[in-house]
Amino acid sequence: MSDREQTGRGIGRLVGRAESVLRDTLLAQGAGVVGAVGRPAERLLWPVAERYNRRLGERFGEVTGLQLLLLVVAFGGLVTAPLWGQDYLRPLTLGAVWAVFAMGWDIQSGYTGYISFGHSALSGAAGYTTGLLVLHLNPGLSLFVTVPLSILVTTVLGLAIAVPSLRLRGPYFSLVTFVTVLLFYRLTKALSEWTNGLRGIRVDVFTYDLTLQYYMVVVSMLAVAATLTYVGRSDVGTVLVAIRENEDAVSAAGLDPTKFKLWSFVLSAVPMGIGGVLLAHVNAGVDPQTFVIVDNSIQMIAMAVIGGMSSILGPLGGAFLFVGLRDVFLVGLGEELRWLALWLLVLLVLVFARDGLFRLLWRALGALGGDRR
Amino acid sequence: MTLLSVEDLTKQFGGLVAVDDLSFGVESGEILGLIGPNGSGKTTVFNCIMSIYQVTGGTVRFDGTDITDDKTHEIVNRGLSRVSQESNPIGSMTVRENIELFTFPNSIRSLDGGASDEAIASYAAQVDIEDALDDDPGSLPHADVRRLEIAKALATEPDLLLLDEPFAGLNQTEVRRLSEQFESFREQGITMVVVDHNMRGLMDLVDRVVVLHNGQKLASGDPADIVGDERVQDAYLAGEVSAVQ
Amino acid sequence: MLGDIASVIVDGALISAVYALIAIGFTMVFGVGGVLNLAHGALIMAGAYTYLSLVSDSILASVTLHPIVAFPLTIVIVGLISYGLYVVLVRTIEENVVITFLATIVVAIAFTELVTLVFHAQPYQYSVVPGVLQVQALGTRILYVELAAFVASWGAMGLLWYYVTKTDSGRSIRATSMSERGAMLTGVDVSGVRARTWLVAGGLAGIAGVFLGGIGAAEPTMWLEPLALAFIIVVVGGIGSIKGSVAAAYIVGYLQTATGQFLGQSVRGIMSLVVLVVVLLVLPQGLYGTEFVHE
Repeated sequence: MSDREQTGRGIGRLVGRAESVLRDTLLAQGAGVVGAVGRPAERLLWPVAERYNRRLGERFGEVTGLQLLLLVVAFGGLVTAPLWGQDYLRPLTLGAVWAVFAMGWDIQSGYTGYISFGHSALSGAAGYTTGLLVLHLNPGLSLFVTVPLSILVTTVLGLAIAVPSLRLRGPYFSLVTFVTVLLFYRLTKALSEWTNGLRGIRVDVFTYDLTLQYYMVVVSMLAVAATLTYVGRSDVGTVLVAIRENEDAVSAAGLDPTKFKLWSFVLSAVPMGIGGVLLAHVNAGVDPQTFVIVDNSIQMIAMAVIGGMSSILGPLGGAFLFVGLRDVFLVGLGEELRWLALWLLVLLVLVFARDGLFRLLWRALGALGGDRR
Repeated sequence: MTLLSVEDLTKQFGGLVAVDDLSFGVESGEILGLIGPNGSGKTTVFNCIMSIYQVTGGTVRFDGTDITDDKTHEIVNRGLSRVSQESNPIGSMTVRENIELFTFPNSIRSLDGGASDEAIASYAAQVDIEDALDDDPGSLPHADVRRLEIAKALATEPDLLLLDEPFAGLNQTEVRRLSEQFESFREQGITMVVVDHNMRGLMDLVDRVVVLHNGQKLASGDPADIVGDERVQDAYLAGEVSAVQ
Repeated sequence: MLGDIASVIVDGALISAVYALIAIGFTMVFGVGGVLNLAHGALIMAGAYTYLSLVSDSILASVTLHPIVAFPLTIVIVGLISYGLYVVLVRTIEENVVITFLATIVVAIAFTELVTLVFHAQPYQYSVVPGVLQVQALGTRILYVELAAFVASWGAMGLLWYYVTKTDSGRSIRATSMSERGAMLTGVDVSGVRARTWLVAGGLAGIAGVFLGGIGAAEPTMWLEPLALAFIIVVVGGIGSIKGSVAAAYIVGYLQTATGQFLGQSVRGIMSLVVLVVVLLVLPQGLYGTEFVHE
């Protein structure tokens, strides 16, 4: 073995050892404390969880007491945010919008494993539909018109991308979606006379009241979350996961993988459409930098990954975490450093916690419930 | 009545001819053995029937209908299922969920379809794995993983079952038990084509044998006749013959 | 008109050589480890900025090297960055294709931020070989840097060809690329081969970066286009095939140049992407490649 290779092996071994040390010390100590608090809490909460499970467990998945507590606290926090977080309404609103994007990405890419880099083209399509309608048709167009139209355009575009490219496996599929985004971006520049090029199109905010805007976004987000979680847990979700794990088995089961893959795109396009319109209004405009560029696709993916792919609620949490870090907690580092920190975090999650931070949390909470499940 | 009919089937991979102008039929209710030395094309024939490969030439007919260009899932939905040589259960799902997948209707509107727990349990019971329903496939012994593959195929309610090396890796007791189970499938009305190397297990089970060699049909007929056929012996049974006789 | 056509023929020939270099690095890494290194464009960008820093007196004021020295130094530095990227990050995750994919694109984006942090967002022009050659007979002009790019690229390809056909270490790369199992069975240290491949690919990317930055400019978003081009060329030529990459590089290079000359710059950007999509749908295995089949 050459010196270079020996060094490489050495580094690898160091990393591995650091990993196990972290795991052994932190987990051992942490587990002790957490267990002391968690187990009695779980016993207290279990009856409530049981009742929930009986009613909604079939539809949305079963939970333990602590997991239910997490959900209730998160939901409560979101719903009461204007009371405790007036200063944070803007990042929370943005977090909710990006949560819609991340969830939309997840039901397609996270579940089927066909990783799409092209979703910012879909949200961009929605944003630009709204923008173009407002600019060229009627500035005062009501949401009841722009929203359905934008979703329609997004769905059509989604199918237009999906139909030819889903025949390709793995990385080829992802490459095509990557290229689609680049194409879309160059089109917005090339068709500048229609799209205002890099300047973008101004869109009226639907309300200047930050609280009202927040609730409009959060309610939409919760609706998307509930629907997608339900679908994810249904037969359709099972088939999508099966496609990821073993597409040939799906065919052997008499199920048409292509049909289900296309459906996952449709399921994905609707949230992208909703989110795109929301973002256009929250952002007071649509432009290539905020909507289309491939960086935005990667942000969506990053949110889903750090939250936990293929779980819908994981990406939701990931989105809030990402936006929270980006717009609130890391702001002090300055523009480039905070992005560097964010991407470094994503890399760390990819290497050490690829199941996702919220999924790990969920499992940890579930483990405190004992052997009930 | 001929349930499956393979006519002049040819499959080429670049310059290599894996299956060469092969024709044979499978009668409803029979158990047909498809044998041949390694590389004679048996799995390729199955792959062509199931449309995993596109045929280079020839036709495959099932219950009178030309299925040569159908997609795999369409073929399965017609009543023709296959158990592969390799097992690949979905590791993140339990045995029960693995079988349930094979009972889902081919519909995007299906939110809570699939067979009932009892039906799934009965498929599992037909191959003796009803006790493993809530286990992970990764924790199962090899024989049970193979049985899971068969249960999955059963769950599609097939009229004809293609079995690729079902006895591989099983001990004698397991082989005998599986043969009994195949006989009970036949009683339920399932026709079968079995590919295997295990001569003893196979010859007792099948009604008729087709022998492949270099992608072509070498011989066909009664198991006893085949075993005694010199050409077949030359091709590969030499040494095995004494074991069977 | 003649000048335009001559210009396309000449420019196309020159720039395609650099494109070939980009594609070869990309396809080598894929052929050997199954990794689509989406950070390849970032490595190219690293080449441009490293060279810029070494040569310019305004960036690292203490380091102002002559191009003759800076050039090979840049190649080595970028090669080492690429090697480091493999050893520290990719090697720990390469069994999972999806994770690796995501990780390399995140590295690319992170690198953009780093570059913006250090060098700021404005484009830097720098000179590799100054001056212009007037070719009166054809009515066209050629930048000396383009000529240098052509010579350097073909030189590098020649050295690479020698390396992978005549040296043991290079041949083990080819062997692993053709059949990993086979290579392992004949005693090849696959992990070492992969690390070496990343090193070489990095060097090639460095060369390409120096010239792409020299012909255009160095800026933090310059990694996108070479990466897209690398995909297109590698897909058209066949993933894993060096021969295919060179042939496809010339096809794509000429297509780009001709479109740019006669239809305008914005169409140029769109045309090549459309070509990629068409090829992927019609001929997924490319000209010389084998179909994308997992080992």
